Amino acid sequence: MLRFLVRRVIGALVILLIISAITFWLFYAVPRDPAMMSCGKNCTPENLAQIRKNLGIDHSIPVQYWYWLKGVFAGRDYAGYGYCDAPCFGYSFANNVPVFDTIMDRLPTTLSLAFGAAVVFLVLGVGAGMLAALKQGRFLDKFASSASLLGSSLQIYFVGYIAMYYFVAQLGWLDQPSWTPFSDDPVAWFSGLLLPWLVLAIIFTANYTRMTRSQLVEQLSEDYVRTARAKGLSRANVFFRFAWRGAMGPIVTVFGIDLGTLIGGAIITEQTFSLPGIGRLAVKSVDQSDLPMLLGVTLLAAGAIVFFNIIVDAVYALIDPRIRLA
Amino acid sequence: MPDLSHHFHFKAGSMSFSRRNFLIATGVAAASTSVLSACSSGSEGGSSQDKAPKVTGAKTVEIPVGTKADSTGPAPEVTGAVKGGTIYSLQQFDMDHMDPAQIYVSTEGAITVPIMRGLTGYKLDAKGNATLVGDAATDAGTMKDGGKTWSFTLKDGLKWEDGAEVSSDDLRHTFERLFATFVTEGPRYVQDFLVGGDKYKGPYEGKSLDSIEVDGKTITFRLKEARADFNFTLAMRAYSLVPKKHDTKEKYDKQPISCGPYKVESRNIGKSMTFVRNEHWDPKTDAIRNAYPDKYLFQMGYELVASTDRWIADKGTDQYAVPIFNEVAPERIAQVLTNAELKKRVLTAVDTVTYYWPINMTRITDLKVRQAINYAWPHQQLQTIGGGAYSQEIATTIFAPVTPGYTKFDLYGVDKKPGGDPAKAKALLKEAGKVGQKLVIAYQQSDTAVKTAVAIKNALEEAGFTVVNKQVDKSTFYTQIGKIDNDFDLFAAGWSPDWPNGYSQFYPCWSGKNIGDGRSNYAQLNDPSVNKAIDAASQIADVAEANKAWGNIDKMIMELAAVVPDYHKIRNYLYGSKVGNVIWDSANTCVALSKLYAKK
Repeated sequence: MLRFLVRRVIGALVILLIISAITFWLFYAVPRDPAMMSCGKNCTPENLAQIRKNLGIDHSIPVQYWYWLKGVFAGRDYAGYGYCDAPCFGYSFANNVPVFDTIMDRLPTTLSLAFGAAVVFLVLGVGAGMLAALKQGRFLDKFASSASLLGSSLQIYFVGYIAMYYFVAQLGWLDQPSWTPFSDDPVAWFSGLLLPWLVLAIIFTANYTRMTRSQLVEQLSEDYVRTARAKGLSRANVFFRFAWRGAMGPIVTVFGIDLGTLIGGAIITEQTFSLPGIGRLAVKSVDQSDLPMLLGVTLLAAGAIVFFNIIVDAVYALIDPRIRLA
Repeated sequence: MPDLSHHFHFKAGSMSFSRRNFLIATGVAAASTSVLSACSSGSEGGSSQDKAPKVTGAKTVEIPVGTKADSTGPAPEVTGAVKGGTIYSLQQFDMDHMDPAQIYVSTEGAITVPIMRGLTGYKLDAKGNATLVGDAATDAGTMKDGGKTWSFTLKDGLKWEDGAEVSSDDLRHTFERLFATFVTEGPRYVQDFLVGGDKYKGPYEGKSLDSIEVDGKTITFRLKEARADFNFTLAMRAYSLVPKKHDTKEKYDKQPISCGPYKVESRNIGKSMTFVRNEHWDPKTDAIRNAYPDKYLFQMGYELVASTDRWIADKGTDQYAVPIFNEVAPERIAQVLTNAELKKRVLTAVDTVTYYWPINMTRITDLKVRQAINYAWPHQQLQTIGGGAYSQEIATTIFAPVTPGYTKFDLYGVDKKPGGDPAKAKALLKEAGKVGQKLVIAYQQSDTAVKTAVAIKNALEEAGFTVVNKQVDKSTFYTQIGKIDNDFDLFAAGWSPDWPNGYSQFYPCWSGKNIGDGRSNYAQLNDPSVNKAIDAASQIADVAEANKAWGNIDKMIMELAAVVPDYHKIRNYLYGSKVGNVIWDSANTCVALSKLYAKK
C-alpha cells in the first residue's frame, strides 16, 4: 500500500507540474497585458514598466515560469512586495494579496459546500436508488427513476434562483445563503449553507439514484447472488453483503471524481448563491487576467481530482479483494 | 476619471472607458468617478420619481469653496438621526486598494470617507449639495501667485487611531510617498504639478522634495504652473493623510491607519470589511462627517440580481443595508421602478460621466466625414440596447448636464432625429467625395457590445460608409486604442471629471499635450485653438468665468466632430427600509456613507 501511495503521489506531482506549465503557456498564448490593470489613467510606458517589475512579469515567459516554480519550492524575491516564503504561489495581480493565503481563506467555504452537499446527495441518491432496485417495476421504482431524470436535467442556476425566490424571499422558510465559518457560529454556518446543499443535492442525487439502481439491478441478477439466495441467506444479508458491495465500485469512482470537481470549485453554485469560495475566485481570476491566482486555483482543482482518484483507487482495493494495488 | 462601473451595472458598459472593469467582468465596480452628480429632476435628495429619470434638466451641481467657518466641526446634525446600530452593505466587489495613494476609483474613495481624511474634502448639506472645505486643514487653502503656491494649515486636535497627533511630518510624508515606485494606480496630478516632481523618487531614501515646505502646522506646495483649483485636486482620496510612523510602504495597502471617526476592525479580502468607532476622533475637528452608526459592515461577493432581490425582500439585516457599487440589476429595474412601495427606497442619481466614441483624428482627417458619422449615429437604437431611458439618456455634448460649465447644444440634430439622419450624412460624404469611406470600429468583447456594434455598423452603412467591426480583447483594449499608431477609426470610451470643472475632463482627453502611447487623448485631437483654450481656461481663477470657458471648449470640440457623444448615465440604487437619510454624495458619486443612520 505504501509503495502504491508513494508512486501515485509522485505521479500526481508530475501531472500538476505539467498542468502548471500548460496553464502558464495558455495564459500568455492570447495577447494580454496584466500590468495594464494596475496602471492608472494616463498610463505612461514608464509607469507600465515599473508595474511589470513590481509584479515580476518583466521577464520572458520561460523565465517567469522558472521564478514561479522556484517560489513554490524555495521562495522568491519580488521587487514590489519583498521576499515571499515557500510555498510562494505569488501575489494576485489584482489586489497584491498572497495567492496561497487567499486560497486557504476560500477553501473552507468550498469544502463545507462540497462535503455538506455530498452527505445529502449520497444519502438521498443512494437511498432512493436502493429502494428503486428493491422495488423494481413498481410505483416507487418508476417514481424514483422519473424524479432522477427530472433532477438530472435541471440546472443549478435555474433551481437556485427559483428556490431562493420562493423559500427565502417569499415563504421565509430558509435563511439567505451566506457563509459563516463553523468556528464562529455553527448554527449560522448550517442555515447559510442549507439551501445551496439542497439545490446542489437535487442535481447530484438524480445521478446517484440512477447509477445505484442500475448497478444494484445488475448485481441482483448475477449468479453469485442467486447462489447466495439458494443457500438460504436472508434477503437483507444477500442485498447488503453481496449485491451492495458489488455495486459500490462504480459509485465510489464517480463520487471521488464528483467530490474532487466540487472542491476544485463549484463555480455556478457559488456564483448563484454568492458564496465566497474557490469557484468564485476562479471566475474572478479569469476575468481579471490574474495569472498567479488562476494558477493557484487550477492547481488546487487538478490536485483535488488527482487526490481523490488516489483515494478511490485505494478504497477500491478495500471494497473488492480481487483488486490488488500493484 | 475613467468610469469603471457601468460595465457591471449596465451591459453597454463594456464599451466605456475603463481600465479595471475588464478585469472583473461581471463587474467590479467602481462607480463613476467624478466629483459631481445630481439627482434627477424632481427627485433631488434621492426620492423616487414617477417616470424614467431625466438627465436633461438635472441641476448642475456647483461646488463652492467654503469658508473657515464652514471647515470647522462638528458636522451639522441630520434631522431625526439617531446614534447606534450597524449599517450594512451588499457589494459585488471588494476594494482593490486601501492605501489612499493607490485609490482612484470614486466608490473606493467613498467607502473610505469614514476612515480617511485629506487636507480638503466635501461637506454635504441635507440634500447632498457639496461645498469644498478644509478637512484636516483649517480651511480650503490659500493661494498665491495666481495659484502657483498653495498653503494649508493643519487643524489642532487631529489624531490617528493609536492616539498620536497628526503631525506636519505626516503631511509632508503623505505627499512625498506619492512618488514611490509602488504607487502605480492612483492619480498623478500632484506628482505632475509639483516643482521637481519629475525627478523625485520618494522619501524612502532620505530625500525630501523642496517644493513641499513645512513651517509649523502649515504646509506649502510650489507648483510648476498656476492651478487655481489645486484645493479641489487635493480633495481626491489619493491625497488623504498617511502616518509616517506607520507607513509600511506597499504593505500599508492592507491595513491603513485611520484619523476619521471609524477605523478598520477587520478585513477579509473579497468577503467583508468592518469599520468600528475610532475613539480618538474628535467631532469638533470634522465638519464633514457625522458618525451615527456604531459600525459599518461591508459584505462583498453579491451579484446584482442577488443583492437586488435581498433589498426587495427587505428582511433581517438587509433592512439596514445600502449599496455602494451595486445598482439595481438591469433584470429587476422595471419591477423596482414600477412598484410604488419599492420606489420609495430607490435613490436615483445622474452621473457626471459621459460615454462617447472618439474619432481617430489622424485617420479621419476630413471634417465632413466626421460630421457625417455624427449625423448617422443611431442614438436611439443604442439607448434601447443599453437598457432604455431608466439607465441612460442620449448625449449631444461631452460635458454631462450636471457638471459646471455644461451648456446645452445639439450640433448634429440628435434631438430631432435620435435614430440618426442617414440622408444628411450621405450628403456630407458626397460633398467630401468619400462615399464608401471605410471605418474600422473597435469595441470590447461583451454580448451587448456586439449588439451595439452591429447597430452602429448598420446605421453607418446606410449612410454610405463601409464599416469593419473589430472586437478587441478587453484586457488589451486600452493598450491598443491608446497607441498612437493604431488601426482604428472609432472606439468606445467614457470619462467623467475628477473634480467639478472642465480641466480634468478636457485636458486628459482633448489636449494636444496629452497625446502619446498610453495617454488618454484617444482621438489624438491636436487642434491649436482647442489647446490654447484649454490652457487659458485652466488659468482662470474665477469659477463662473472658468466654467463658461470650459463650456465653450466642449462646443469647439464638437464643432470639430472629434467625437460622437453617446449617453449620460443614470444610476438607480435600492436600499433597506431601516436606513435613515440616504442621500447622494455629489462629491463622491455614491451614497453618502457619513450621513447615514440606522433607524431604531
